[in-house]
Amino acid sequence: MLPLKSTFIDKIMIKIKNISKKFLVKKNIVQALENVSLEIEENDCFAIVGESGSGKTTLANILLGIYDYDNGEIFLDNKKISSKRNLKMRKLIQFVQQNPMSTLNPKKTIFKTIALPLKIHKIVSNDKIGERVKELLSYVGLDSEFIYRYPDTLSGGQKQRVAIARALASEPKVLILDEPTSALDVIVQSKVLNLLLDIKEKLSLTYVFITHDLSVVKNIANKVLVMNKGKIDEFGKTKEVFSNPKSNYTKTLIRAIPTVTNEEDEIKPKL
Amino acid sequence: MSKKLLKIEDLELSFKMYEGISYVLKKINLELSKGEKVALVGESGSGKSVTTKLILGLLNQKNVTKKGQIIFNNKNILNLSQNEFKKIRGNDISIIFQDPIAALNPVFKIKDQFYEVNLNKQFFTKKESFERAAEALEKVSIRDPERVLESYPFQLSGGLAQRVVITMAMINKPQLLLADEPSTALDVTIQNQALDLMHDLTKETNTAVLLITHNMGVVRKFAEKVYVIYRGVIVEEGTKDQIFSKPGHPYTKALLGAIPKLNSNQLPRFVENAPDYASIEKYVH
Repeated sequence: MLPLKSTFIDKIMIKIKNISKKFLVKKNIVQALENVSLEIEENDCFAIVGESGSGKTTLANILLGIYDYDNGEIFLDNKKISSKRNLKMRKLIQFVQQNPMSTLNPKKTIFKTIALPLKIHKIVSNDKIGERVKELLSYVGLDSEFIYRYPDTLSGGQKQRVAIARALASEPKVLILDEPTSALDVIVQSKVLNLLLDIKEKLSLTYVFITHDLSVVKNIANKVLVMNKGKIDEFGKTKEVFSNPKSNYTKTLIRAIPTVTNEEDEIKPKL
Repeated sequence: MSKKLLKIEDLELSFKMYEGISYVLKKINLELSKGEKVALVGESGSGKSVTTKLILGLLNQKNVTKKGQIIFNNKNILNLSQNEFKKIRGNDISIIFQDPIAALNPVFKIKDQFYEVNLNKQFFTKKESFERAAEALEKVSIRDPERVLESYPFQLSGGLAQRVVITMAMINKPQLLLADEPSTALDVTIQNQALDLMHDLTKETNTAVLLITHNMGVVRKFAEKVYVIYRGVIVEEGTKDQIFSKPGHPYTKALLGAIPKLNSNQLPRFVENAPDYASIEKYVH
């Protein structure tokens, strides 16, 4: 399935062609991804949804170069990339993970955590690192006094903000967000999501948003890819997928969303 | 005298910590009738999980101070000894935890964990216990209960493990089931299945359920009566319809407003400086 063509030509940020990935689990072959092809345009908020085991996190890990893939090709900004990447390539794609409690090093202050990518990628000269860290913290709505603190003195939402600041430090073009808010409460979730949208606007980033929360997808993504058992089940613009889902799997997923008003129940698709 | 199954009266809880005393629950009042499905909703740190721990008598550290009453079947169970609690746990009151894989002991097979639960009821031989467990699992439409019983917890998928945990909690037909975020770790479709299963099983045995969650969607699907808790204070109570159609307390309104809606295209925006909801008077419908 190819992406819908829009009237003006958008720049394609990520192009994936026929990617497959197998895992060997106790002599059984698990096909995690099967011939997945997709195109993500610049400034997209591209959502990948599906149940656990559908291959969405495998896809993210392949994009990040954590896993190698069996066959197929990936292009980032029209350059072919493999899982063996140099610093320059790694700088462009950054990652925010699900659980902020386990992604921050408990022995490092927030300053050290955010300064590390600045040093590795040589973003700013050494004497300007302090200034840049404070600037990054202000992007995510945190005071500069946070630089002296350790992760265990922060709340869940604050930790996730630090993780976002760290991902932004290397000035990436693409952010991969793997369930960035599912460990957070609703009110905090709403604040973090709004923050992510503001940052996207400000820095003109491309987001790949992996989640199983479809009501969040409805509100922030412009394109949705539904995955089922390693294959693409449905792809389209968010509005079209939600108002007129084609596959039964997508319908089941949308129907399963726990809603809070009667109006929402009425617009759920019927099986 | 009263028909209430569980009555929590002026329950207070505080922890003595290095930095001073931290007050976790401030005069909580809560009631459950037989067979009623009640939800306790709040964000993390609001004191909802410690309430279940108090009901089960799991908070006995030296730094814990508790006041008030928890009346279960006309008997105050707040300060019972551990031996007396052993008779209640798993028999009259059982619990389902958030993460089913973590709730099961990784080094024992499922059949051995069922054996322990079965013994709470009366004496069974291992063979009898196996058959009793298999029968219960078959009822929750697990097709091959023998294989599941011979497995270790890590060999089960999340949804299957949650089914096993729910079955285990319900096998002795308890009067009260505490469900602490029973579906948070699961996918949306499996979450629905788990809630349906809990609903069917508790209806059959007329078991009352106290559902602890932060997900308002789950509350709307499952509960009949709702208590909203914020920083150790109950800020609103009412029936499901009252809470969802006419929320009265500003915190409940904020909580409902923060949920991304399926029929909108924009995230709800927030004022950064929220008022101190706990100081605003409780709203009773």
